[in-house]
Amino acid sequence: MNEQALIHDAQQGSLDAFNTLVLHYQDSVFNAALRILGDEDQAADAAQDAFISAFKNIASFRGGSFKAWLMRTVTNACYDELRRKKRRPTTALEPDTDDGEEMDSPKWLADPALTPDQQMEADEVEHAIQHCLDSLPLEFKTVVVMADIQGMDYAEVASAIRVPLGTIKSRLARARMRLRECLQGFAELLPVNYRLEEGINAR
Amino acid sequence: MNRRDLELLSAYLDGELKPADSARLEARLNADPELASVLNDLRAARTLLRKLPSRKAPRNFTLTRKMVGQNPPLPRAYPAFRLATVLATLLFFFSFGVNFVGTQLASPANFGMGGGGAESFAVEEAAPQAAAPAEEPPLSLAPAQPTEDALRVMETPAAKSGGETPAPAQDQPPAVVEPLPEPQRQAPLVPSAWQIGLAGVAAVSALLMGAMRQLAARRWK
Repeated sequence: MNEQALIHDAQQGSLDAFNTLVLHYQDSVFNAALRILGDEDQAADAAQDAFISAFKNIASFRGGSFKAWLMRTVTNACYDELRRKKRRPTTALEPDTDDGEEMDSPKWLADPALTPDQQMEADEVEHAIQHCLDSLPLEFKTVVVMADIQGMDYAEVASAIRVPLGTIKSRLARARMRLRECLQGFAELLPVNYRLEEGINAR
Repeated sequence: MNRRDLELLSAYLDGELKPADSARLEARLNADPELASVLNDLRAARTLLRKLPSRKAPRNFTLTRKMVGQNPPLPRAYPAFRLATVLATLLFFFSFGVNFVGTQLASPANFGMGGGGAESFAVEEAAPQAAAPAEEPPLSLAPAQPTEDALRVMETPAAKSGGETPAPAQDQPPAVVEPLPEPQRQAPLVPSAWQIGLAGVAAVSALLMGAMRQLAARRWK
């Protein structure tokens, strides 16, 4: 995929060129929205809004990382979605059990490639991490999602959310520390290889 | 653990420190087990985040032209037809306005006592009195004392409403009591043919515009 050529064509109004970019980035955009919002339906809405907004404003893209530019758009769409959610609260994504408690591992989110045990393990880890992410202030969560989940470098994150590099460093360090403290509360739930005590991997 | 050290450790983890700062931090890490422990914690948290499964988008987010409000490209002649439609429509309605105003100005009955209307009223009434030919334009017959004539004319209905016609005075001109001549029908300022033409231009242009849009939308699909 020649990204520059597609961006150029999209800037000339080619919807086909833009849709090629959409197909390439839609998983990243959706995952970023999902981790920021913690709700699949809202994340899908935010991702769709982000792509519409991106197409309408693609003339303002002046080079650099297109992914960072898209991430800025999806971040804004997520903030809009959160504002909407605040005005009109909705029910939780997870369906309730017969006891009225939320199901931790809804079957419709399961990955069919995993065994039931692996699925349960993965679901528990994911649920714990999402829970801890949701407990972060929005600006911390956004930085963590960009840097640690999307794998963007500091400069890209700074460009995406338009804050200075020093602020990115500070927010990321504090967010990681808070996440670490939060995840320690789930230590017993996490399988051994996910526990935090000994530091999992060398750098 | 102060905030500065926390930021240094986090940036070190991501390889975002300058080589000199990295070397200094590594020396401190070797000497300070607590600092090394925090680094491990941060690394563990980061590893967990990176292990989060990436979800596949539940559907394609590709855009349709409707979503982005794109319209099919229209032929170059389209704006000319749009301008023609607008102009023809405006002129069509304007012609009605012009004809209406023209009729009002030409018809004395619609002007009451006010302003210059009374004068023109008097002028028209005075025309038969002076035994002028009907074809003569009324304005050219403006008398030297229009107000006197006008007053005389205004007296006539009042006299009629009294039921008796008073005996005409010697100096009263007989023309005042004679039946008024049929007012001349003035031709409209904008002829009907023009109005029909304008309506036709507006309608044809509008139809052509609709056809162009339909054709462009069909081609676009």
